[in-house]
Amino acid sequence: MPDHAGAAPERGCHRRRYDFCHPAFRTADTAGHTPAATTMVPMTTTPTTPTTATKDSTVTTTTTTRTAGPDVVVFDRVTKAYGDVRAVDGLTLTLHPGETVALLGPNGAGKSTTLDLLLGLKHADSGTVRVFGTGPREAIVAGRVGAMLQSGGLMDEVTVAELVKLACALHPRPYPLSEVLARAGVTRIADRKVDKLSGGQAQRVRFALATAGDSDLIVLDEPTTGMDVSARQAFWATMREQADRGRTVLFATHYLEEADAIADRVLVLHRGRLLADGTAAEIKAKAGARRISFDLPDGPVDETRLRALPFLTTLDVSGRTVRIQSTDADATVHALYGLGVYPRNLEVAGLGLEQAFVAITAAEEARTS
Amino acid sequence: MNDLIKLELTRALRNRKFLFFSVLYPSILFLLIAGSASTTEKVSGTGLTLPTYMMVSMASFGALTAVLMGNSERIAKERESGWVRQLRLTTLPGRGYVLAKTASAAVVSLPSIVVVFAVAATVKGVRLDAWQWLALTGSIWAGSLVFAALGVAIGYLATGDAVRPITMITYFGLSILGGLWMPTTTFPQWLQDIARWVPTHAYAALGQAIEQSRAPHIEDIVVLAVFFALFTGGAAWLYRKDTLKA
Repeated sequence: MPDHAGAAPERGCHRRRYDFCHPAFRTADTAGHTPAATTMVPMTTTPTTPTTATKDSTVTTTTTTRTAGPDVVVFDRVTKAYGDVRAVDGLTLTLHPGETVALLGPNGAGKSTTLDLLLGLKHADSGTVRVFGTGPREAIVAGRVGAMLQSGGLMDEVTVAELVKLACALHPRPYPLSEVLARAGVTRIADRKVDKLSGGQAQRVRFALATAGDSDLIVLDEPTTGMDVSARQAFWATMREQADRGRTVLFATHYLEEADAIADRVLVLHRGRLLADGTAAEIKAKAGARRISFDLPDGPVDETRLRALPFLTTLDVSGRTVRIQSTDADATVHALYGLGVYPRNLEVAGLGLEQAFVAITAAEEARTS
Repeated sequence: MNDLIKLELTRALRNRKFLFFSVLYPSILFLLIAGSASTTEKVSGTGLTLPTYMMVSMASFGALTAVLMGNSERIAKERESGWVRQLRLTTLPGRGYVLAKTASAAVVSLPSIVVVFAVAATVKGVRLDAWQWLALTGSIWAGSLVFAALGVAIGYLATGDAVRPITMITYFGLSILGGLWMPTTTFPQWLQDIARWVPTHAYAALGQAIEQSRAPHIEDIVVLAVFFALFTGGAAWLYRKDTLKA
């Protein structure tokens, strides 16, 4: 029964991969952060902490190394449904001061709903959303949140400068207009009418609106959509500067390379649930896979023998080149030598965040369907 | 919020089409209807000459245009574009958006009233006492709030595609049925019976009562008050529904 023998370990690995990553991520608040970085403190908050009040006090008493005050955003078992579809399903998460957090998820994962709840544009069916210890609307009125929505329209028939000036006037702690325009890179188009802008330019104007004043949290929904590569790089350079000033940045994106390069924490949403929470490196590691590739100079080897390698999740043999994904590359390579095979040009590499993301969400799809 | 009113106003004053239809168009219509009319012959049952009668009708029409058009279409379009959502991420209070729209429309409706008066006085020699001019301006301006509320309600009811036809039907319906384009006394009796209950009819009747130097009919005030309550209530309800949904 070679087929069966071949399939069994793979399924086993799949499940193992899921077991390995999924619960670990779900409880990331307690465990996932520990190895992250020196600036990050192991969280004492857990999803089952009864009230936000307790949570806040726990945090302030235990997180002595963190510079800024209490939690920026706290979602406590938040659920939001549209009819039968739970867009956000018992979501619990905490954002800390100074973090740059990427929110990832396939289409329909609940990213936009999560941001809408955070910004008070939608109200949770159950659970609580706290922003700087208050309701979202109060935090916005206090000028602590600057946000750029994917669906955020602009007032037409006015100039860019007039619109940004309005945003400055509405902010309790505004920056000078010229500074806001310059930072968003819209100084040169300041006199242009808003309805005459290209997609990328409109996006930069939205960014100017979101950063018109001294806000502590900046929320960006798919901010670089419609921007070309250089505009995108300039945008993130600006954003990094904001983060360096100690601001908390939360952005939803579907460009995984952006999340990989910019975020110091990545949240993976899937069907309204938090599937993974950690640094990009942790997500990659916990997706549980490394890529192994090598050539077989002595000719093809019996594939079923390769397929039986421990911790193997995928196998791809094309000609003399073999590509393997493994949840434990060390053990797999060790076993490979044990087969009496002598690989040439052996390479072992980590997965990209994109592949890790696909692996995590696919595993979840497989589990739930 | 003042900043938003200022910007809304800048934008309204920049929009030539909007300015033409709300400020100049009523005066042009006045000249077309009353231009060749006799300045002594009275409109039956009113004691007013046609130019005097039509002056109030057209001033009311101009104010109606400014507040109804200004509110409904912009609100529906900006709801669709997401500007309303974006504004909700600022410190601006929820009502601020609607109030700013209405305030800027009211600023445009004032000249539309005054221009009709000026044209009527100079071209057709309409003469009234000083208090009458002031009272007319005040009542037509204040009365336009009823239709500003209607504009807001339509803006929150209609989608961006449907808003123009809906506004146009409402606008022409109110103008014609209310007797703003021709005195309702020229209507057949059954239509006159309907027109009595149309808010624009009551609106213009307030102004005509001032021209006749008599107290306004209680019926007209009640009709306007009821419609004002209906429109603001409807607008508030639709606004709240939209806010929860968005």
